[in-house]
Amino acid sequence: MNWMRRLLSRRKIYGELSEEIRGHLEEKTAELVAGGMPREEAEVAARRVFGNVTLAEEDGRDVWKWLSIEKFFMDARYSLRMLRKNPGFTVAAVLTLALGIGANAALFSVIDAVLLRPLPFRDPERLVAVHAVDIKDAAYNGEISYPAFLDWRSRSHSFEAMSVWWTTSVTYAGGTQAVSVRGVVVSANLLSLLGVSPALGRSFVEEEDQPRGEQLPVILSYEFWQGQFGGDANILGRSLTLDDQKYVVVGVMPARFQFPVQANRVELWTTIARDMLGKSGMATQRGVSYLQVIARLKPGVSIPQAQSDVALIQEQMNRQYPEDRPRSAAINTESEQISGSMRPALMILLGAVGFVLLIACANVASLLLARAAGRQKEFAIRSALGASRGTIVRQLLTESLLLAMIGGVLGLLLAHWATSALIALAPEGLARTSDIALDLRVLGFTFLVALVTGVLFGLVPAVQASRCDLNRGLEDSGRGSSSGAGRSRLRNTLVVSQLAIAFVLLIGAGLLLRSFNRLQHVDPGFRADHVLTFLLEVPSQHHPGAQRPAFVREILQTTRALPGVKSATAVFGLPLSEQQDVYTAAEAEGHPLPRSQRPRVGFRIIESQYFSTMGIRVVEGRAFTPQDELGGRSLAIVNETLARLMFKGEDPIGRRIKPSISFGESDDAPMREIVGVVADVKSGSIAGKTAPEIYVPQTPVDFIGEMTVVVRAMNDPNSLVPAVRSLVNSMDKDIPMRQVKTLDQYVSGSISAPRFEAVLLGTFAGLAFVLTAVGLYGVISYSVAQRTREMGIRIALGAPRGSISRMVVRQGALLALVGGGVGLIASVFAVQLIRGLLFGIGSTDPATFIAVPLLLLMVALLASYVPARRATKVDPIVALRYE
Amino acid sequence: MRKETQRDLFPGALEMMILRTLKRQPLHGYALAQHIKRMSDDLLQIEEGSLYPALQRLLKDELVKAEWGVSATNRRVRIYKLTAAGAKRLELEVSKFERMLEGITRVLAPGQS
Repeated sequence: MNWMRRLLSRRKIYGELSEEIRGHLEEKTAELVAGGMPREEAEVAARRVFGNVTLAEEDGRDVWKWLSIEKFFMDARYSLRMLRKNPGFTVAAVLTLALGIGANAALFSVIDAVLLRPLPFRDPERLVAVHAVDIKDAAYNGEISYPAFLDWRSRSHSFEAMSVWWTTSVTYAGGTQAVSVRGVVVSANLLSLLGVSPALGRSFVEEEDQPRGEQLPVILSYEFWQGQFGGDANILGRSLTLDDQKYVVVGVMPARFQFPVQANRVELWTTIARDMLGKSGMATQRGVSYLQVIARLKPGVSIPQAQSDVALIQEQMNRQYPEDRPRSAAINTESEQISGSMRPALMILLGAVGFVLLIACANVASLLLARAAGRQKEFAIRSALGASRGTIVRQLLTESLLLAMIGGVLGLLLAHWATSALIALAPEGLARTSDIALDLRVLGFTFLVALVTGVLFGLVPAVQASRCDLNRGLEDSGRGSSSGAGRSRLRNTLVVSQLAIAFVLLIGAGLLLRSFNRLQHVDPGFRADHVLTFLLEVPSQHHPGAQRPAFVREILQTTRALPGVKSATAVFGLPLSEQQDVYTAAEAEGHPLPRSQRPRVGFRIIESQYFSTMGIRVVEGRAFTPQDELGGRSLAIVNETLARLMFKGEDPIGRRIKPSISFGESDDAPMREIVGVVADVKSGSIAGKTAPEIYVPQTPVDFIGEMTVVVRAMNDPNSLVPAVRSLVNSMDKDIPMRQVKTLDQYVSGSISAPRFEAVLLGTFAGLAFVLTAVGLYGVISYSVAQRTREMGIRIALGAPRGSISRMVVRQGALLALVGGGVGLIASVFAVQLIRGLLFGIGSTDPATFIAVPLLLLMVALLASYVPARRATKVDPIVALRYE
Repeated sequence: MRKETQRDLFPGALEMMILRTLKRQPLHGYALAQHIKRMSDDLLQIEEGSLYPALQRLLKDELVKAEWGVSATNRRVRIYKLTAAGAKRLELEVSKFERMLEGITRVLAPGQS
């Protein structure tokens, strides 16, 4: 408690010390006066013998202090006072920093959630995704068949465990209303591979990879269990029907568990046994590649080792199964796999936003330098009073840190707001966006950034200031003519760097924006406006066999009768929806090809009004008619790309083609007669190339169980939703309506990643640009203020005012030219980074490379012109009177 | 950071001299300064001001204590007294100093080795 008493009595101690020292000096003076010295002289002499009075007193006080902390608080108090006294400076600096820090915090919160945070599984760094790589055609990359996977698993030595998975949707009609949920088909060992176990019940066991008995095992998500079964404690062992299959619940996962980690939630898991049922289960066919592979590396095994292991096995398999397409294998970490193509873009954005912060730092440093010049006198007085250089540096650094911290807090507020905007803008399919939050990690990051920022922009001005010459500082009226030569050189360097960085960012943003603009103007081949779409499942137990297309037709007919509906149709495989994407190999009649060389074609099943409703042009021949849906002849319509690729200039009408896909009873795919050719459609993605495609009419045979209904509306398509919903409900209440979206939404979803990148980089570049302009303006106006006297003299000597303003503008232009030049050189390298993100323009797009320098030069001229005008208004008499 | 007070002295020397002086008799700051100056025959360059931080250190460590009183010239002054702990510390410091001095002297002595 001693220290506490001391803390309380400290004021008294200090008072006594001062009194004592005063007494000492008085006694000395009195003695000298008594010795015959004049009083004034005696006072000076007493002080001289005593030494530095303030210093002695301060050192005496320091004895009682916890040095560092107290000094910091003292400095902080003093800093706050200084900042309050200069509200203009403070607001400018804090706002600049808040923008820089806030942008960083917001983007970091995204990157942390999406890229950095480890996956919520055991030892996630050893989890990898294993892909098949098609040697001939990258379009086939990715999935493998179950028999091929079993070969991989039994022959490889690099993995502790391997598991397949794929996601599908199933209908659960056991609740109050039929719902469609996403379920995952996995290997029985998946959960142990991930290192997780159910909260309730058990994991799958090895034998469950094979079908046994009537029922398949299913594990529910916690949320599905709560939502559909009210958290029923007796859920284990309960039977439920999904689609037409019976399942038994064996477990419930912990809350928030998700596998695969992706944008769309999944609600249940079952084993690969599901795909072995029936006569031709998908998992039994070597030719059906539809499975993803996740594996856990053995400890100490590297990715390249594992990759060559699997590649070698695949090579053997290529020889063993010549019918299959020849393949190799590739492995990447699971977390890379999840962040996918967004990883490089996010890293580039992180770099960009870091540069924005650097520019903000440079601005504040520049402000501080200017202010330090004005505070020379203060520092000189303080060091005359005994403040050491360290004290002054510390004081200035404290001020900078305080500014940075205030900026950081404000930045967090900005980030809070910006993060929700980022989430809204996030590309579709970006996994883990739901984890984005301003949590402790982001807080820590922001604090660190603010700290580094404070030191970064504070150190140089602080050291500069402390170097000041005592005498000159005191003599100088603070407005001297040439006092800051080194300082202004420093500020010029800062502003040149800012200009260079802003230049690079603007080039990057310009390229991305131009590329995005190109994407927006891509013709998708169909008319996307005023179209409502939704997915309709037609389970066979309700509408067996031949009745299913009839049911779809019925729904369409009633829909067409609704007010506000122009036309309606249905399709399996809606463009850009990434659902129901079916690809198959195809061969033209008379050109037999071995299976491994047949081209890969998209396969869509359509209702007869599909082309007219979608606005897809029929180039040749005809569209399907309702008669074609009866299924008498096997027909097909192909797109232009397929006609070009497979018929090479011959007329395809009347020719026959065989996509290797069969429905119903027969194993053999039928030959189909081509009755029409339609225009190409962007079906995979807006940026992608159009694949060869085949359309077939829906018939009792050619039907997969679900169709996407497409409704063209006269007005707002969303206004039709309630009417359509009640219509579907009235026709069959067990059929859920899924994926209710407009076609426009699919189109904009397809370019959501480029939009995200362009908007973000554009925002950052804009920020950088404004900050740089402000910085340049600050430097020029400051130099004008410094040179007021010089300009006064020039004007007094007869210099025309125009030449004065030209001189100032020339200074700004020179800085801009140097900065722009450096930026141009840097851009040549920087654009290589974003080459992969561009669409339709080169990385040396002339328009961007002309527009950006012009823009920068214009703003530089403007930023210098305003102070230049002020310079010409200098009144020589006022300017000269300063002396 | 500020080592000027020890320009001619090693750390702790000033404190040792203060303690030694106060052992003879309690004194106030000014008198203490004058006494040390006189005794050292002005051989040591000591700023009078440096006395006060040293006194504060001794106060804090409770090696001396201070009381307000009235000086011979009728001024209100703080008179410093050695405490028991201070006397003990002085003995310790002096013996340490003597040993150090002896060591230095031996090294500096001419002739041997």
